[in-house]
Amino acid sequence: MKRLWLVGVVATSLMMAWDAASEAQVRGTILGPGARSYPIAVSPLKNLSATTAAPDVASQFADIVGRDLALSGYFKVLDRAAYIEKPDTSGHTAESINFDNWSVIGALALVKGAYTLEGDNLTLEVRLFDVYQRKQLTGRRYHGSTSEIRRMANKFADEIMNQFTGERGPFDTRLAFVSTRGGRFKEVYVMSPDGGDLQQMTRSQTISVSPSWSPDNRILLYTSYKSGNPNLFGLDFITGRDAVVSQRHGLNLGGKFSPDGSQIALTIEDQGNADIAVVDRMGKLLRRVTDNWAIDVSPSWSPDGRQIAFCSNRAGEPHIYIASADGGEPRRVTYGGSYNTSPAWSPKGDRIAYVSRSDGGFNLFTVKVDGSDTRQLTQSAGNNEDPAWAPNGRYLVFSSSRNGRKKLYITDDTGSSQVELTHGGGDDSSPSWSRWLE
Amino acid sequence: MAVRLRAVVVLGVVLSLVSVGCRAKKKGAGAGGPGGMEEQGLGGGDSLAQYKAGTLGAGEGGPLKDIHFAFDSYELDEQARAGLRDNANWLKDHPKSKIEIEGHGDERGTVEYNLALGTKRAGATKEYLAALGIGADRLTTISYGEELPLCHEHNESCWQKNRRAHFVVLGE
Repeated sequence: MKRLWLVGVVATSLMMAWDAASEAQVRGTILGPGARSYPIAVSPLKNLSATTAAPDVASQFADIVGRDLALSGYFKVLDRAAYIEKPDTSGHTAESINFDNWSVIGALALVKGAYTLEGDNLTLEVRLFDVYQRKQLTGRRYHGSTSEIRRMANKFADEIMNQFTGERGPFDTRLAFVSTRGGRFKEVYVMSPDGGDLQQMTRSQTISVSPSWSPDNRILLYTSYKSGNPNLFGLDFITGRDAVVSQRHGLNLGGKFSPDGSQIALTIEDQGNADIAVVDRMGKLLRRVTDNWAIDVSPSWSPDGRQIAFCSNRAGEPHIYIASADGGEPRRVTYGGSYNTSPAWSPKGDRIAYVSRSDGGFNLFTVKVDGSDTRQLTQSAGNNEDPAWAPNGRYLVFSSSRNGRKKLYITDDTGSSQVELTHGGGDDSSPSWSRWLE
Repeated sequence: MAVRLRAVVVLGVVLSLVSVGCRAKKKGAGAGGPGGMEEQGLGGGDSLAQYKAGTLGAGEGGPLKDIHFAFDSYELDEQARAGLRDNANWLKDHPKSKIEIEGHGDERGTVEYNLALGTKRAGATKEYLAALGIGADRLTTISYGEELPLCHEHNESCWQKNRRAHFVVLGE
């Protein structure tokens, strides 16, 4: 089993000279909500190796960075066919790049770099430039094996996002989700957010739902009917073990690790009624969070681990509630709408994303933790469900049937950019976004 | 006569042991034994087995009919209660039969909420059958939420079919 995301990639910052003016221009304000189509060119890497060449490396790095920037919704990545400068016959530093060749094709920003390859050892240096200022904005050097090219590209894309939005990008991470792309059965898959490195994790030919990452990205919890009863399993990416975590009679559903990784909140069944409980990593019951005749389902921890948001229909229809992680009387959060489910607490701690039935379909909303300032993120036809936050609290991944089959989409927290993330056959749903890989 | 009865009893015991042991691998087809314990077909196999076999929604019926629910509800309306009275009559005629009650929902709403809703639907159904005099030890429940739909169209006619409790005869 490939577990490349648990291997470290060494990265160092490339020193560059700033001047105060260009720093003020780029810090956090160029691109924000509503910004679209900032034109950026991403050049394939130059080969600095004396003997070997790896054209796949050269273009793959640019492909992945380009795809990440397109997914962010803020950039228009200019078509490589229009690039005047070719990597191996042009410079890759501020002093040696002919910026006129880039401004003439409309680029405002440029990514250019070079690699050296010795056997399987890859060293990459790559820089982001402001084309009009003719200045380097940031740079990185990466060391690793050629199989880690995706990590390097995603890390640099996150750094580009940091330069332009003031927040680290979400791409050096992993997504887990459920898909029927392999056949009729919902199986668990993982992939990089750029769409690459797709791996099928279950082949049980039964129903699997609700995968969820541990905070150290080592364990993937999911619920499966492979034993008949819907039990909670934990797939360990280091040992390869797929062990049962909770097999209480009835539902063992929606398991979510606490932020410190020591506990798991989940939905269990008590005399035919769904309730939220907290168990330890071995599945031993620690306490009940809810004990109510109503449906209580879908726990989501606050980032400080002190509270749990969940969905309950104790008021007659499903709404979002918050309880202390120790249990106790919950506080209702959503009052608008008549059907609110699927809460996801932002890593920033201030807002909760959820799904609401509106306009005849289901749409994504966010609300402040105190219940105020409801924002609608999606307005399209079809069903928009299963929101999950990226670790930077700025992006969400969700499932949408707006074009027919269910596909995963990425959006920023305002909904102003919504980009289709998965393609191919079947239905994709129930995504979970890991933390940064390091 | 005494010998024949004893053979029938032995067969019945063996069959019930086999049924219990094979619960996870239900075949769905009739498992009636030659001793005449169960003369009617035991069709209406469990939905997950049917889905695996590719026959879910193909209309394979059983002696117990599905009952249906309103959106986001686990209340039994009069039609559902009438259906349950019919099912209870069958169960009284077959006093050794055990059944599994499956709770299902339509595709709208969240997977997790619908799994919990299916639990409630199966639970409400079990409660009503128990109130009609069926022993609770004969009734088990499971929820499949929106995971095993009979049809896939995005309209109320299909959704209504999927919002159901389905009954699986487990043997004796």
